[in-house]
Amino acid sequence: MPPGFHGKYLRIDVTDGSARAVDLPDRTLRDYVGGSGLGVRLLLDEGTAAADPLSPEAPLVFAFSPLVGSPLTTSAKFAVVSKSPLTDRINDSLASSGFAVAGKRSGSDALMIVGRAPELSVLVIDGTDVVSGFSRTSLIPAGDLRGKTCQATEDALRARLGSDFRIASIGPAGEHAVRYATISHDGRHAGRGGSGAVLGSKNIKAIAVRGSQRTEYADPKGVTALSRDLSKRSMGPATAKYRELGTATNLLVFNRFGALPTRNFQSGTFAEAESISPQALSESRGKTRSSCVTCTIGCEHIYGFAGGKGGTVRMEYESLFALGSLCGVGDPDAVLRAAKRCDELGLDTISAGGTIAFAMECVERGWLDAPWLRFGDGGAMLRAIDLIGRREGIGNLLADGSRRAAAVIGHDSIAFAPQVKGLEIPGYEPRALQTMALGFAVGARGADHNRSGAYEVDFSDQVDRRNVTLDAVRLAIETEDKAALMDSLILCKFLRGVFEDFHAETAEMLRRVTGWDVTADELRDTARRIVTAKRQFNLLAGWTPAEDTLPERFLSTPLPNDPAASLSRERLDDLVAEYHRQRGW
Amino acid sequence: MYVEFLGIPRERAGLSELEVQASTLGQLLTELSTRLPRFSELMIDGRLHTSIAANLNGNEFVSDPDTRLTAEDRVLLLSADVGG
Repeated sequence: MPPGFHGKYLRIDVTDGSARAVDLPDRTLRDYVGGSGLGVRLLLDEGTAAADPLSPEAPLVFAFSPLVGSPLTTSAKFAVVSKSPLTDRINDSLASSGFAVAGKRSGSDALMIVGRAPELSVLVIDGTDVVSGFSRTSLIPAGDLRGKTCQATEDALRARLGSDFRIASIGPAGEHAVRYATISHDGRHAGRGGSGAVLGSKNIKAIAVRGSQRTEYADPKGVTALSRDLSKRSMGPATAKYRELGTATNLLVFNRFGALPTRNFQSGTFAEAESISPQALSESRGKTRSSCVTCTIGCEHIYGFAGGKGGTVRMEYESLFALGSLCGVGDPDAVLRAAKRCDELGLDTISAGGTIAFAMECVERGWLDAPWLRFGDGGAMLRAIDLIGRREGIGNLLADGSRRAAAVIGHDSIAFAPQVKGLEIPGYEPRALQTMALGFAVGARGADHNRSGAYEVDFSDQVDRRNVTLDAVRLAIETEDKAALMDSLILCKFLRGVFEDFHAETAEMLRRVTGWDVTADELRDTARRIVTAKRQFNLLAGWTPAEDTLPERFLSTPLPNDPAASLSRERLDDLVAEYHRQRGW
Repeated sequence: MYVEFLGIPRERAGLSELEVQASTLGQLLTELSTRLPRFSELMIDGRLHTSIAANLNGNEFVSDPDTRLTAEDRVLLLSADVGG
């Protein structure tokens, strides 16, 4: 077993609470590293890609990595990997922070959960027995936690079990199998693709974990030196945006470029963008900053509500766009309250906003009987979020996401359901950012900005973002590979601008931690292997080439505010075909 | 021409827009670092730091200091890492 690893994962059947440690071959660890890569490998080995993601036999994996627990900045992250109930394809979501460290210290490189508990339960994993090296697992009834918000669940369990436990939980949305329910920890979410519904389907309200089993480093002094250097660089200009302004500052940039998705992608500019910009939010309410364990960037910008009442909420660009411009809502308090409500219920804000915006357009066209649900009405948006979280009324339809809702609504509404493979599109207008359009189309988990960083290519002098050619394909692949590697190492993507030679520097990290003679070229191969493994899972789950595309709206209608932003089906098909060719698929 | 500042460039410049005379991108950046001392934090060897991007008129992104500019241009300066 190499340093940095425990060399095993814990397979827990919550049907009866039994658990067994399963050895992880060194070759598997080296080929897939950890995080998303390791999680996908374990899912493939289970052979359940064709299973219903909400069935007992479908596994849910929490995967850590050799860097978790080290002093390397931003490394306190975990990946949640399963088949998505929203897309029926692979899903890997990442979150931070203390749960990752506690989970790894419980004595395993990953936790795999299968089965279904007989009643709503909390899974407790206690890895404090350093002598035996075993983790004790148990199930405790959680009926008293039913309906509680993520934060209330976390608070209650730490009070009950002890403050050294770290908790990952679902909110009411996960209990009601909302297909884009999240798993929450410490206010952060493994957000996309519905892993919260998968955990809920296993009758698990929360996982409580603690441990004291540390892993060794091959070169402890080298790890310390690298960590100091990386921390120092992480406080420089490459991360200033995240530190000083937060991701929310993207809103005005995208609006200026006509690439801010507005009113269900009917426009790329939002007249009320200024009113929900972070600058405006800061003027009328308090704002503080926070960061994950071990992180030196501190990207979290936490806003209070006007008048100082109602608590606080972390606000990111994706939540701001999805619950703001995408739904046509320019009332900052409504947007903040909606984001907070999604956090409490355990809902992915992107899919919640995307599905509600889609419904608003259907109402506007007279195809959906919910006359109260109108673009620009913040109160209606909040009402819809609550209904979704409880699967009541129209919320039962919208809880299944825009693709399934379109299938019920009909009228060819699928043409403007804002999704790829069922996953709602994040805040990047594909017609104005066409390398990103390719990244969305081919994404293994659907349209997602965390699995393809192709927007960086569009915001550079390497392509004409509104008229990309096949030259963009290689660049899109590079960003996808880099994301796969960062999600497996695991390091936060907000660090990416800090590296001068990403592969060489991360190879050195792994050498110092694991003792492997790993090189930059090997990590390039590793990244491609992980992306291919995701594809392999999708093939086994029933993927067809027709899925690698965008909704008809983007391929038949130029962006109204910018007619030069036009993407034909033929051009996207050519890009996708070239992508497949370069991947060797 | 006008320069529009977005994101971190706006924070460093302390304003959202400025009228400047320059015939190349390099001249423009030199002028900005002279007039706006904190803006020079975003430059290395006369070029923008890799975390900052320059765009002409909302269309093409430019980085070559010899890029020609006209009086009608609007140069947008923004944080290059637009990810969320």
